[in-house]
Amino acid sequence: MLIGKIISISDIRVNIFRLEDVDVKIGDVLESKVGDKLYEFEVAEINNNEIICMALKLVIGLSKGVEVYKKSDGLEVEYSEKVLGRVFNAYGEPIDGKEVDSTQRKNINSKSLKLDEIDVNNEVLWTGIKVIDFFAPIAKGFKMGLLGGAGVGKTVVIKELINNIYKSRNSNAVFIGVGERSREGKELYDEMKESDLLDKISIVFGQMGDNPLSRYKAVSSGLTIAEYLRDERDQDVLLFIDNIYRYVQAKAEISTELKRVPVENGYPTTMANDVSTIEERINSTGNGSITSFQAIYIPADDITDEAVQTIIGHLDGQLVLDRKTAEKGLYPAINVFRTNSKLIDIEKIGERHYNLVEQVLKYLTRAEELEEIIAVLGVDELSQDDQNIFYRSRKIRNYFSQPMFVAENYTSIPGKFVDINDCLTDLEEIIKGTYDDMDESKLLYIGKINE
Amino acid sequence: MGDVVEIKENENQEQEAIPVNVENQEPVEVPVNVENQEQQEIPVNVENQEQQEVPASAENQEQEEAPANEEEVAIPVDIDEEVITQQLQQNETLPDVFERKLKNNDDAITEEEYINEQIKTQNEKIQSSNNIYEVGSVTVVKDFILEVTGLENVQFYERVNIGDKGFGYVSKIEKNYITVSLLHKSQNIVVGDSVYRTNNEYKGEYSKDALGRIIDIFGTDKLNNKKFQNIVEIPIEIETFPIMDRTSVKRPMFTGIAGIDLIYPIGKGQRQLIIGDKKTGKTQICLDAIVNQKGKNMICIYVAIGKTKKEVKELYYELLKREAMNYTIIITAFNDDLPPAISFTPYYALSVAANYLYEGYDVLVVLDDLKKHADSYREICLISGKAPGRDAYPSDIFYLHSRLLERGCQYKNGGSITILPVVETKGGDITDYISTNIISITDGQIVLSSKNYQKGIKPAIDYGLSVSRLGGSVQNEATKKLGSKVRQKLLSYLETKEVYELSNVDEMSPELRDKMINGAKLLNNLIQYKYSPLKEEEILERFKEFSG
Repeated sequence: MLIGKIISISDIRVNIFRLEDVDVKIGDVLESKVGDKLYEFEVAEINNNEIICMALKLVIGLSKGVEVYKKSDGLEVEYSEKVLGRVFNAYGEPIDGKEVDSTQRKNINSKSLKLDEIDVNNEVLWTGIKVIDFFAPIAKGFKMGLLGGAGVGKTVVIKELINNIYKSRNSNAVFIGVGERSREGKELYDEMKESDLLDKISIVFGQMGDNPLSRYKAVSSGLTIAEYLRDERDQDVLLFIDNIYRYVQAKAEISTELKRVPVENGYPTTMANDVSTIEERINSTGNGSITSFQAIYIPADDITDEAVQTIIGHLDGQLVLDRKTAEKGLYPAINVFRTNSKLIDIEKIGERHYNLVEQVLKYLTRAEELEEIIAVLGVDELSQDDQNIFYRSRKIRNYFSQPMFVAENYTSIPGKFVDINDCLTDLEEIIKGTYDDMDESKLLYIGKINE
Repeated sequence: MGDVVEIKENENQEQEAIPVNVENQEPVEVPVNVENQEQQEIPVNVENQEQQEVPASAENQEQEEAPANEEEVAIPVDIDEEVITQQLQQNETLPDVFERKLKNNDDAITEEEYINEQIKTQNEKIQSSNNIYEVGSVTVVKDFILEVTGLENVQFYERVNIGDKGFGYVSKIEKNYITVSLLHKSQNIVVGDSVYRTNNEYKGEYSKDALGRIIDIFGTDKLNNKKFQNIVEIPIEIETFPIMDRTSVKRPMFTGIAGIDLIYPIGKGQRQLIIGDKKTGKTQICLDAIVNQKGKNMICIYVAIGKTKKEVKELYYELLKREAMNYTIIITAFNDDLPPAISFTPYYALSVAANYLYEGYDVLVVLDDLKKHADSYREICLISGKAPGRDAYPSDIFYLHSRLLERGCQYKNGGSITILPVVETKGGDITDYISTNIISITDGQIVLSSKNYQKGIKPAIDYGLSVSRLGGSVQNEATKKLGSKVRQKLLSYLETKEVYELSNVDEMSPELRDKMINGAKLLNNLIQYKYSPLKEEEILERFKEFSG
């Protein structure tokens, strides 16, 4: 169906003059052909008889007056069991070189759940990573955020979680790569393929070399697949999003092209709403659940960034990675003071774990204060009690570093899975002073003590 | 009598006519026939006004009245320059219609005549520039951003020439005008200058002869200011390599610097950022890396973005002296070039690299530096009215660099593009906006600190802040084993040093004392001066004692 003709073009935006008698709605997909090149657009805004579209790919070679036709009622992705083991781009097309003989497709912009459909359950999922299980245990149906600036190891932690949870449980998973490195995406696919784990996971990529619309749509496409697994197959789905911040960033680029007035730091005015639309779709019902792990990039190491704060508001728990810890070579570089989870509650994890968290935090806080004093006076000037706290805290800090399965390739240390009870026992012993004579470097990159 | 002056502008019809009908005492028809065909050819026949009395038109179906003379009918569809000149020469001999009319009629100039004259002059203009749809005129000049009206069918990203004053590309098409970003200008451009279409997407020019030379994106050999022969066109914007065409990065690319090859290694196809303040040796590390590729069948491309001419020349002699220019191309956009050209240069360089990649080569690209590139881009965006975001950079500043650096990869055919982007920081702060953006794109960063530089630790790598996300996976087995040991020892030493700096060495536990002494020795062993590369075996030998 002929919709109209192009009247203006910019980097990713194309405006179309609409013919009088055609109906177009936001989200429709339109197409144009110039020579043998096909161009596709998604309707973003309708202004009387002017349709403002975002291009799906590069628009080089387009010119004014080119005719535009309607292609479909919106972007669609496969909605059947054929999604498993496959890789899609943000627009729902398979990119792993095989065709999908499609049985059913679904529009990627579906509605969020109603209040009565939402289920809250709290079965704990242990990750085998000491610092996470101890400070921020994760329950089924949780939304965990993994916050970190550039290059502090978010992706490694996400991959370790995939490794430890997805591999050990018999559940389906969806991985959405948003605005991250293509190299890492391909490596993830290759690793899954090599270890025969591809059959339960589907992957959607809108990576950082792709245009903003692709990065913006990848989340919706991936969520539609996760919803299929939850609603049609009644599965407990694990959802990994690396990286949700890029979704807001892509929307900011689109918003600028639409000439909308930005808020602080160039973010779109609709940011809160955009994030809610996505986050409210990630929920559990009585039949199936979605447990999500969302990496959140912290721009310019500024955790008070608007976008980051908006996303954090939706989370059940957060793991914060920081540069100071990474600088000391302690990975996973988790800042324990900022890390938390709704499960840290005496009724949910029990008295032993809860009290120990409090005590460890007390030690670590005191040790941090002492460090400043030591920088001026030296360790020997401290009282015996403070010296104990200081040395034991350093041991605790080292103990929380852990070799990762997925990092074995570049650390040469095989990964370790640590049971939470072993972790609690070890920490109790360190605080009691049982290991006071042990050299602190012996606690670096180990599993449990005395293994 | 009655004047009908109709100028109808229509686009997109397979065949359309823009008749300019002029009726006066001596009814004359000047049909201007524009055939807009699907092939984007816009053949036009514009009759010279001076021939009003002999209304002639080729291919005009509505041809009326006096038959056109044979020669003119034969005007080919594609306007041939030769024919035009021929025609013009003939025309010169014809009497001017206006003047003649004055002679015939002694009356004063009537309104009609005035209009006729106007039409005549306009048509002359049109003829001299081939076609009304192919030539626009400049209406706004904002430094290097032009607004041009009259170019209706121009394509997005098409190259346009502003007479012989310069050229640029179509960076935006709006309802009533287009925006042209100037890539090169030889004279000042003024409002009213003609802008000519070329019908081609803007592409950079490159020649295989450029190896060993200093070149720019226009295919000029900067060393003698001549254009190369055998030019091939290089697209600037391309879709990134499909994710499934990439394979894992695992072959080492040796820089000859122990601190890098052993501790934070770089693999072929990796993007490793070199970041640090002014005068901390960022460029030196890149030069060391290039020089160390001698005899390793690599193509190196050094991209100087916004550097001074002097700097580039010095750099060229450095590389020449060390016989590295045999396999190196220096691509430059000097700091006094136009910002759109500066902002295109790294894309061009990566497209050149991609050409070698498809042939199976390993390519090393140094982008020096991306902070200047970001600033150039910001300049373009703010002048063309894009809304500013954080630090006044436009909101697509991340995409600017992400799509550029994503072109670095290990390709399925065995070729690879390794990128070493350089970013200059201020006051050692690597957490500013542009730096963190690029850190989040690259596969790791080598951080250089001015404090280390002043202490004499060269290369001035800050081992705590540097990262390689690929780490051991790009190292050979022996190096990997030693490397992870050395890295752990070094980081642990640097961290402990802070706490125990004030302690008395004699009172330390023997373990701690060993650690401090060994650590200091290790750090000392990493010191290496410029152009003194170490081979892998030499590195293994030098750090053997730290493997325990």
